Amino acid sequence: MNAANTLDAGAVPAALRDCERIGRTEGLAAGLAAALDGRDVAATAPGRYAALSAESVREMESVVVLKHGLADREDVVFAELPSPRPPAGPALAEIGALLAAVRLGVVRRTLDLAVEHLSARDCGGEPLIRKQLVTGAVADLIAEVELLREQIPGYRDPAALADLHTRIDELGWQVTKLFGAAGYIADHPVRALYVSALCANTWIGREGAGE
Amino acid sequence: MIELDARLRAVRDVSREAAEQLRALALAIDADPDAMEAHLDTEVYAMVRTSNTPARHRESLPGRPLRLLDEGNCLETVVGTLELARGDAGALLACPSPALAGVIVDLLGDERQRELFYTRLHGGRTWTFFAMTEPGRGSDATAMETRLEPDGAGGWLLRGEKRYIGNGARGGVGVVFARTGRSALSIRAVLLEPPHEAWHAQRLDMVGLRGAALSALRFDGVPVRGDMLLGEHLPVTRRGIWGAIETFNNMRIQVAALAVGTALAIAEYVAEHRKSAPGLPVALARAEAARELVYQAAARVLRDPDNSYLSCAAKLGATRMAVQTARWASGAMGPAGLLEHPLLEKWTRDVCAFEFMEGTGNIQRLHVAKGYLSGDADG
Repeated sequence: MNAANTLDAGAVPAALRDCERIGRTEGLAAGLAAALDGRDVAATAPGRYAALSAESVREMESVVVLKHGLADREDVVFAELPSPRPPAGPALAEIGALLAAVRLGVVRRTLDLAVEHLSARDCGGEPLIRKQLVTGAVADLIAEVELLREQIPGYRDPAALADLHTRIDELGWQVTKLFGAAGYIADHPVRALYVSALCANTWIGREGAGE
Repeated sequence: MIELDARLRAVRDVSREAAEQLRALALAIDADPDAMEAHLDTEVYAMVRTSNTPARHRESLPGRPLRLLDEGNCLETVVGTLELARGDAGALLACPSPALAGVIVDLLGDERQRELFYTRLHGGRTWTFFAMTEPGRGSDATAMETRLEPDGAGGWLLRGEKRYIGNGARGGVGVVFARTGRSALSIRAVLLEPPHEAWHAQRLDMVGLRGAALSALRFDGVPVRGDMLLGEHLPVTRRGIWGAIETFNNMRIQVAALAVGTALAIAEYVAEHRKSAPGLPVALARAEAARELVYQAAARVLRDPDNSYLSCAAKLGATRMAVQTARWASGAMGPAGLLEHPLLEKWTRDVCAFEFMEGTGNIQRLHVAKGYLSGDADG
């Protein structure tokens, strides 16, 4: 896929749909690569480090990367960038929107796994998925996914984009909890949700947001 | 509001001083939780180990620049734990100490068993374990499958599996829960001293709080002498499951204290590096409110040890607050702030652990609602 390099005109919905689909079917690193496809990372990224797919970095020359135990296993690395960093502009906001779509796809991917897990596990002779607290949590999660998807097109407002990513962080945590303690083991698929939050930390400016 | 008396203030101050040493170990232990040898003679580890050991079972320590705490009640332990976690919860849980196993050995063990257990910990190179949770069963003790089979000679053979057991793979002495029959009263706690060829242990790679060294254990007929069952001298109703419930009531508040201590550490870290961060006063106010609730819950356990309402509410609220604080902090430090501040990044992973320890949020919710409906909110 070639995520549109600009999100003008009719390209927005298609590029966002593609990114969410890739995040869901292929995972975080593939989604990240799609969101950043054709973009000038060094000229756009807002912080000293920028999350990139490990594969895309292999094609670059002379990039210094910071590795992180969990991110490494998700094929995500952090490129070190020179200071000072450029001010936020439209190109960065577009990446923020595409990254949000990828992250929603990753939430869907792990939510599917959570539902499988909860259907297979019994407590008191009943599958966990039928416990009201669990059913309610799943319903809240997917309803929030539907809502947040509709917030992505408002990405040009920095506060709206920051709020969107913070709420996707929270969604990821709500999915993680559905796995119980298994969701705290580093080789479990929910690792992608921890790394997804770390990716957003590098690409999204939220220092102006309070509690 | 809980007013700390002179003794509690002393506990707080000693622990606050010791916490600095834990902070210094935090990143090294997170990077390699197995490389502990260089840290084991740290003063704070000797202090934590001996403070949690009843006076009559303590070793004599030369020097002792850090003051030792006397054997304390639940509130004193909570005040101390919270301050130590403000240093680093992962480094605290990596300490070879009596920990949860000590609570149950004190509760159910006879004098000889206590002596055996605590003597093994002298020197600070023996970790302990408390093995209750089973794969696929969470902490639902009534569904426990690990069993003790009679060996025909007055002893037992232990068979089954446990998972998410802190320090399990490196533990030298600890407690495993298993059943001798089908009823709830047949659930017993046994004292074990691995290794043994029928004892199989593997450390699990954790997302955070890696100092806790969660492990998976499998027992393929581990021999257990008859005199290693805890609680033989107690009435049948007070031998196994009762001890576990009492231990959990106590530990739940300790976990809440770990969450609050970590949240305070996070907020204070942001205050130090970005004094004007929006939301800082709110983050601090929330953490301080949670600290007060945790103190209140500990005081309530002292008055009414069987009532879990407030301790469950405290664990639920403190855990949620800690995760929120970490999320706020990761934004407050600006783009890539987590990668520029590895301690903060570590703590954003650590705070998630508290959700899964001593009962998840949903378990706490059920207890809180039950307590509220029974009038405990007015008690």
